[in-house]
Formats: sequence, structure tokens, C-alpha cells
Amino acid sequence: MDLYEYQARQLLEEQGIDTPHGIFAQNSHEVAEAADKIGYPCVIKAQVRTGHRGQAGGVKLAKDQDEAILSSEQILPMTIRGHKVSGVLVAEAKNVLHEYYVSISLDRSSRDFDVLATANGGTEVEEIAKEHPESVKRLHISALEDFDIEAARKMAESIGFYHADVDQAADVLLKMWKCFKDNDATLVEINPLAKIGDPDDESTKKLCALDAKISLDDNAAFRHDDWKRFADTSHTDLFEERAKQHGLHYVHLKGEVGVIGNGAGLVMSSLDAVSGAGEEQGSGVKPANFLDIGGGASAEVMSTSLSIVLSDPQVESVFVNVYGGITACDEVARGILAALDELNASKPIVVRFDGNAAQEGLKILKDADNPNIHVSDTMEKAAAQAARLAEPGKETN
Amino acid sequence: MALFIEDNAPVIVQGMTGHQGMTHTGRMLNAGTHIVGGVNPRKAGQEVTFHIDETDKDLNIPVYATCSEAKEATGAKASVIFVPPRFAKSAMLEAIEADIELIVVITEGIPVADTAYCVELALQKGIRIIGPNCPGLLKLPESADASDKGINLGIIPDGIVSSGPLGLVSKSGTLTYQLMGELADIGFTACLGVGGDPIVGTTLVEALQQFEADDNTKAVMMIGEIGGNAEQDAAAWAKEHMSKPVVAYIAGFTAPEGKQMGHAGAIVSGGKGTAQDKKNALEEAGIPVGKTPGQAAQLLREIVNGGTPQA
Repeated sequence: MDLYEYQARQLLEEQGIDTPHGIFAQNSHEVAEAADKIGYPCVIKAQVRTGHRGQAGGVKLAKDQDEAILSSEQILPMTIRGHKVSGVLVAEAKNVLHEYYVSISLDRSSRDFDVLATANGGTEVEEIAKEHPESVKRLHISALEDFDIEAARKMAESIGFYHADVDQAADVLLKMWKCFKDNDATLVEINPLAKIGDPDDESTKKLCALDAKISLDDNAAFRHDDWKRFADTSHTDLFEERAKQHGLHYVHLKGEVGVIGNGAGLVMSSLDAVSGAGEEQGSGVKPANFLDIGGGASAEVMSTSLSIVLSDPQVESVFVNVYGGITACDEVARGILAALDELNASKPIVVRFDGNAAQEGLKILKDADNPNIHVSDTMEKAAAQAARLAEPGKETN
Repeated sequence: MALFIEDNAPVIVQGMTGHQGMTHTGRMLNAGTHIVGGVNPRKAGQEVTFHIDETDKDLNIPVYATCSEAKEATGAKASVIFVPPRFAKSAMLEAIEADIELIVVITEGIPVADTAYCVELALQKGIRIIGPNCPGLLKLPESADASDKGINLGIIPDGIVSSGPLGLVSKSGTLTYQLMGELADIGFTACLGVGGDPIVGTTLVEALQQFEADDNTKAVMMIGEIGGNAEQDAAAWAKEHMSKPVVAYIAGFTAPEGKQMGHAGAIVSGGKGTAQDKKNALEEAGIPVGKTPGQAAQLLREIVNGGTPQA
């Protein structure tokens, strides 16, 4: 689960990391109220689960209430790189002296945790890291060890924090580590970690997290009841929500062929096969969704899955791809028929069964004698047929 | 050295008395796996009865309180774990502390920090974990002797394939079965599902190392999917060290950015971990990548025997 900036800030604040004063707002009335409280100038920042929102016009400085309202009216309806803006953060504008980048993340390849930092933070950090990889410092933390104050100080020194900042930087790094561990995070990133204050007054200078990105491990939700506060109700896809209630892995896509299968890999492979067929046939037909019924699915699970997929108006045909291991194809066949009986659906369904009880499953479908059910013996052929049937005005035998 | 583990090794099942554990213990026993005990502190001292179809006889498997106790009583060398996610860390730690040589974790949904801790501890002690969130390991019999049944640790269906010269390693369960089915005419030494989580106990590289060292394995089918760098790491390793041919298949070319596709580890984030990147890395290392599972199987078949399906 990726958190919005305003949520990520909460977790950093809970560890005692400084952030600028900020208020989350979802309409221009709330923005005006928040901006008056924060004071001017303030920054209006799109809350959206993607990066590079500044370049997309999602971050604006406001000198007064009129500007704050105007900016929020521009930002709130935006969709940035396919992600809808969920609200804005109205935050104090800070006098930035320098920008650092620091992150702690799960390293899948080395199976440990990585602390990454550079003295060249800010929006261009990715380009700078590419051009000057030597400026990015990396420290591995073994899963059996802890990140302690000595390691944090060493890291802070190696990054090149200005001398006076080392103690503070080490303190921030340690707090980030605690935030990472305590919250079962897979990423805690502060960019920029800014040195702020009056350039002429040393006593006002300090490090402050101006922006943050945090991802949490969904598998750990069972031990974090407090994550309920991060639930995003405003922008959930209705189909994804319904599938989730039934414990199904579903991802809504933009194409025409509904795809249902058992096992994440097989379903991904089925999506690729449908796209490939759409390309080859010149129709550009694409998959409408990813839906994994899991292992050992019952007829009921299959029936629920099919009714979710068929309730999506963009779906023109459905491809059911099951390789029976623990899952029995006869159960799946019964589920398909149950859903069709209930829904009285007329969209074509192409089925490919293999493995456990495949012959029994195919016999059940054959006996049902439903003209909307088509059977194919390989997944490639089935995908091609489902793609053809999804094209408006085209039929196959 | 045996490929992963010797065929008739004694095996215990952690979580044997649960629904999933019962079902698959029965299956594994019927596939000829030498299961000698279950572990559940609340049911210690009891026995669970399984029916063996081949002999039409019942078999009683004792339940022990801990892995150590089970190991002491039975000499178990491998454990298969079916316990729910919230108890998985302590189950893994218990097996590691009992010095079980091979721990196969089927459970899906374990927090990655728990896995990372257990995997690191196991690596330091020279213990192999397979998984989590995987279908397990199926070894076909090494010898023609009828008493050698191979070994089936996990949930991979028995009876799809028989012994042959191929090794198979995969991040996905059903794609494992799919490719086993496609290449059933040639046969396998072992089929291994490494699991779909971001951190796993046995990586694609470590699986390739095993197949490279095994005399009976002549070629390898590798199945990857979006997320992480395991395929790129495998490509780099194979280019330097692998003498045997490898053919790959990658799932998830159409997966959108930032969406988890079923498996916890199957996600493209920040433009990283795409199927195309993996395909490019593999092809640069001289590993052909099939466009579909069927095409990947055909590529491997051509390398092994000139392309004709065997009767």
C-alpha cells in the first residue's frame, strides 16, 4: 500500500521527524480555511500516488487566500499520470538552503534493507543519480541486525552533510529506520530532506522533511489495526472493491476481454496472450481485467468471479483459463454454469481447461449446450478466440 | 550431491492438522513421499490417519509438539510449512533451530520483514528455505528402482510428468504445471517453485546453481514474472557460469505500472521490474525467451531433441 504524502508525514511525525506545518483539504472552502491557518506564503500540493507531480503542475505556491483557492481549483480536478488527485496538502512554505535525499527500502536482490542517500536531493535526484552514481551512498542493513547510531553517523558523514548537520542527519536516519521497522514499511523516502532556516542565523537552521513517500507491506496488515485510517474510500474502483470483499485478486484494466484464471502467473500469462492476439489480429483488443481465483477454488468462487467480470460494461468476451492442480476443472465448470444461469448473460465465454478433472469439466460444459460457451484446447487458441469474439460485429464458429 | 535433497528423505509437516495441511499431506504420502510426522503443540501425542490408495491401507502419522522433538524422534531432514501467515515466522524459526536441512514454505501472505529475518538466519546456518508463497519442490525418481518414488514437498500435482533430463524453476505455481504439461514428453529431474514474494529463500540464481551441479539435468526451463531483479540476476549468473542451455518464459508484459498482480512480489514500480527489461537481460545473456508458454516449451524441445515431440 502506497501512502499519500499527508499520510506519510503522519508516520514521520510520530517518530519525531520535523515536517512543515500542513493540513489536508479536499475542496476550495477547506483550502481557504487551511491556508489562513498555515499563513502565507503557503504551498498547495496535489495528493496523488505518483511522482513528478511538480512537473505536471500539481504543486503551486500561494501568496494569499485568492491564490490558494485558485491553485486548489486547478489542482483538485487533475489526473496525474493516470492517477486521480485525492486532495491537496496546504503546507508552510520554507526557506530552503539545501536539499538532500534519504531513503530506506527493501532490497529484493540482496534480501536485506538499503539506506540510500545523496547530498543532491530534490526533483532531479533520479537524473543526478544516473549521471553521478558516485554521489549516491548506499548502506546495506542485514535483516538480523539493527541500524544503530554509529552506523547512522557514519552514513551521515559519508553523504556529505555539512559538518554541523551530521548529528541531526544521523538522528533523522535513525528515526526513519524506526519508522520503517515499526510500520512494516517496504519504503520510507524523504526527498527533499531540506536544510531550512535563515541563511544568516545559524541557530535557525535545521533539517526538515519537505516531502515523503512511504509504502507499507500489505501482508503485515493483520498486525497494524491503525492502518484502517489510511483506507482510501474516495478513489476505489468498484469492481476491485467487490472482488476484494470476496477475497479475490482482481485488477481492473482498460480492454475488452475479461480474464479469469487460477494462479497469478497463469493469469498474467493469459493477459499477455490476449494482448498478443489482439495485436496479431489487428484489432488492438486488450484484456479488461486480471482475476485470480486462487488455488482450490469452489464452484461458488468461480461463479462470483464470473459475475464480477460480466458486470463490467466494457467486457465483450471472457477468457477462462484453468490449469487444474488443487483446483478441479469440474468445480470451475459448475461455477461457470451457475453464474450464467443466475445472470442470464449473453456474452461469449471461451474456456480452456487442463490438468485436474479437465475432461469432467469439459463434459459438464458440453452437456449444458449453451451457445455462449466456447471451448479451446490450448491457451494460445483460447486467447485468440476470446480476442476475436470481443471485436464488435465479429463472430467465429 | 543430491539435487536439493535425497529422494527418500524423511519429512515432517508443520500445520499438518489444518485443512490444507491434511489435504496435501495425504497427497504427498500418496505420491510416495516419506512423511514421518506432523507438528502442532496443541495436538502433540495424537496420530492422524491417512489412506494410501496404492496399498489400500491406512497409515498413522504421529503429531509432535515441536520441530526439535519431531526431528529427534524421526530424523526428519525436510519440513513443509502450511501454517497461517501470522504464525509462519515462529514456524520457520522453529525448523531452523531444529537444524532441518530443507524448509519448504507454502504459506501465502507472510510479512516480508518476517521472511527476510528467517531467510538470513537460514543462510547463515547453511539451511535452505524454499518459498514462501510457492508450490514447493517435486523431484522425479533418480533411479529406475521401483522403490525410488522421488520426493514431493508441497502442492505440485503428482502424475503430470515422469523422470527426464529437464530442470524447471518458476516464480509461479500454475505456470509450473502448465510448462510441466507442455514438456511432459521429455520429462524432468526436478520442478521447483521458488515463490512469488519479494524475498524468497531460494532465488532463481540458486536454483540454476543446483541444476548446473546436477549430472542428470541437461537443460533448464525458467519461468519469471514482473517485479524485482531475480531474472536479471539469473541472466548475469547464467552468462558467466552456466554450461547447460536455459530457456525462459516471462509473464506480465501487459501488467500496468504500480499494480500488484496477485503475487506480493509481482509489481512494476517506478518503471522497474518490467517484463521487457527481464526479457532483454535474458536475451543479452543468450537465453531465449518464449512469447507464450507453448513457444517457450517448443524452444527448449528444439534444443534438447531437435524439436520433435517424443512419443
